[in-house]
Amino acid sequence: MTRLLDEIPWSEPLLAPDIDPAWEAELRRRGGNGSEVDRRVAPSPWIREACLGVNTGRASEIPAHLFSVAALVTSQENACRYCYGANRAYMKNLGYSEAYIRRIETEAHLAELNGRERALVAFCRNLARSRPRPARAEFDGLVRLGYAPAAAREIALWIALGCFYNRVTILLAAPPEQGYEKWVEAKARWFALIGPLTRWQAARRRRGKPDPALSADVLGAGPYGTVLAPLARLPGARIMKDALDGAFASRVLSRATKALMFAIVARSLGCRASETEARRLLAAEGIGEAEADQALATLSFARLPADEAQLLPWVRETVHVQIARIQARTRDLAGALGAPAALEAVGVAALANATVRLAMLVE
Amino acid sequence: MSLAALAWALALAGLCALAWAMHRRARLFERLHAETRRKLEQLQREFERFAPPDLVERLTDGQGDAAPQRRQVTMLFADLRGFTALCDRLDPAMTVSLLNEYFRHMSEAIQRHHGHITELVGDGLLALFGAPEANPWQRRDSVLAALDMRAALAAYNERLAAQGLPRLRFGIGIHTGEVIVGVMGAGELNKFTVTGDAVNVASRVEGLTRDHGVDLLVTADVRAGLDERFRLREMPPVQVKGKPDPVRTFHVERAEAGAAPAGSRDAGAA
Repeated sequence: MTRLLDEIPWSEPLLAPDIDPAWEAELRRRGGNGSEVDRRVAPSPWIREACLGVNTGRASEIPAHLFSVAALVTSQENACRYCYGANRAYMKNLGYSEAYIRRIETEAHLAELNGRERALVAFCRNLARSRPRPARAEFDGLVRLGYAPAAAREIALWIALGCFYNRVTILLAAPPEQGYEKWVEAKARWFALIGPLTRWQAARRRRGKPDPALSADVLGAGPYGTVLAPLARLPGARIMKDALDGAFASRVLSRATKALMFAIVARSLGCRASETEARRLLAAEGIGEAEADQALATLSFARLPADEAQLLPWVRETVHVQIARIQARTRDLAGALGAPAALEAVGVAALANATVRLAMLVE
Repeated sequence: MSLAALAWALALAGLCALAWAMHRRARLFERLHAETRRKLEQLQREFERFAPPDLVERLTDGQGDAAPQRRQVTMLFADLRGFTALCDRLDPAMTVSLLNEYFRHMSEAIQRHHGHITELVGDGLLALFGAPEANPWQRRDSVLAALDMRAALAAYNERLAAQGLPRLRFGIGIHTGEVIVGVMGAGELNKFTVTGDAVNVASRVEGLTRDHGVDLLVTADVRAGLDERFRLREMPPVQVKGKPDPVRTFHVERAEAGAAPAGSRDAGAA
């Protein structure tokens, strides 16, 4: 059964905040909020951009109300104390009552939703949980219920991005935004009063002028292009594209390690398309089919640097997380790898989980 | 007050009463829902003591995945050596306490490596890797679990010895193969388990640990999923009941740095 906020275990943060005044100014300029996560991912250019993108990204096809519900449900399903608490507080900030949020958490609100909305919530939970593995049929089910294909793709994209952000915060054990949570709690009555206005403003902001959307050709070039190409013309696709390009261009970890991490997540979720793509990336690094088979079968690969080899069994544990266990294991890993490589590993694992979840729907 | 005003007042009062009644009804339903959810959670937690949590979740969600399936599963049988004789010497409460503590340590080691205990029979247990959830690394996981079980038993034995209690010894047999998994049973007694020839082989391999005088044996099919982090020593092939060909088994240890890779045949194999 899905856990409620106060039932989620959470450990001390993995990394200390990295205060970079120039980046903080840039964050504010671009609508970011300088959160605990922003400060901890700041040393990695591609992870910090991806996190900022998720926080400020815009949806063009999903109603704002459902967007909020989907974000809450996804973070709850991923048992991410940070995101769940922040999403909960944000919904109160938008004027939703405690009783209403509670009904979402306990699934009692399903009775208040129509068939399409219920299907959306179930889709969020299933994709985030991925146990059992979601499939193309579930995506097609949304379309059959009347969602435009672009809207269904956008829903899937944002759940995947939610999974990315949830995993970053879980693996880093980012400290919950308790200041914000308490502030919203103290002003809940006031927010309830002006709720409709706040929601209207927030919806406007989300729908505002998005970055120019990318074409299928642009999205299709680069790592996991086959997964990204169907997201053409969706504003959020750029976040995913930039993250994948940035992750594979980064030199903190070797490309072979990153491709193997993607392959392991793909195999763990039983996604053949993602594994094939990862094998293509491995082949480009000179790792043939037989070597890849052996590495994937044993979660070890002798040609990797010794410290990076530890990431192979670890990344598999990031697919279906048990919070206390994965945070403890990630802490051990960070001790062995050092902060920059640990942060990079967290980003790659989170991105692999997001990408493969998305790929399962186009397979 | 005019009649019309009175009628309006009455209508308003009626509406207020109706709204109040609806509000109370809604509160009642909310409490009822919260209570039902609490009970369901409690039931689910209790149920998880008897079946793998994933399976419980599926059954609770009304998903039909508990239907029987044929799939690749790795089975780990573990059995305490000489425990029956020990039972005769020990106080019953002490025997149960000792056994429960042993199972707790073994269960932790198994769960740490994605296994599920599906059967406890006397002092023996059967753990599954790859069921109910598919697990591409089930062979590796099962052997890592067995090695952790060995370490956990050694630590437990130290505590037992410190209390003046006898040390425990076990035998573990691991085999992998295609079996049928699902909820099986009749009437009021059902459980999630496996059936098939591979289950019998795993059980026989556990029995072979006595013959070979070792605590852990895996079959050649399990060995295929292991890398150089495991040191394997091949045992003489043995004919087991129900199998036309002799079964090849390997004793496993964690490899030290620079050890011979998995699959190599030690010169001094028994």
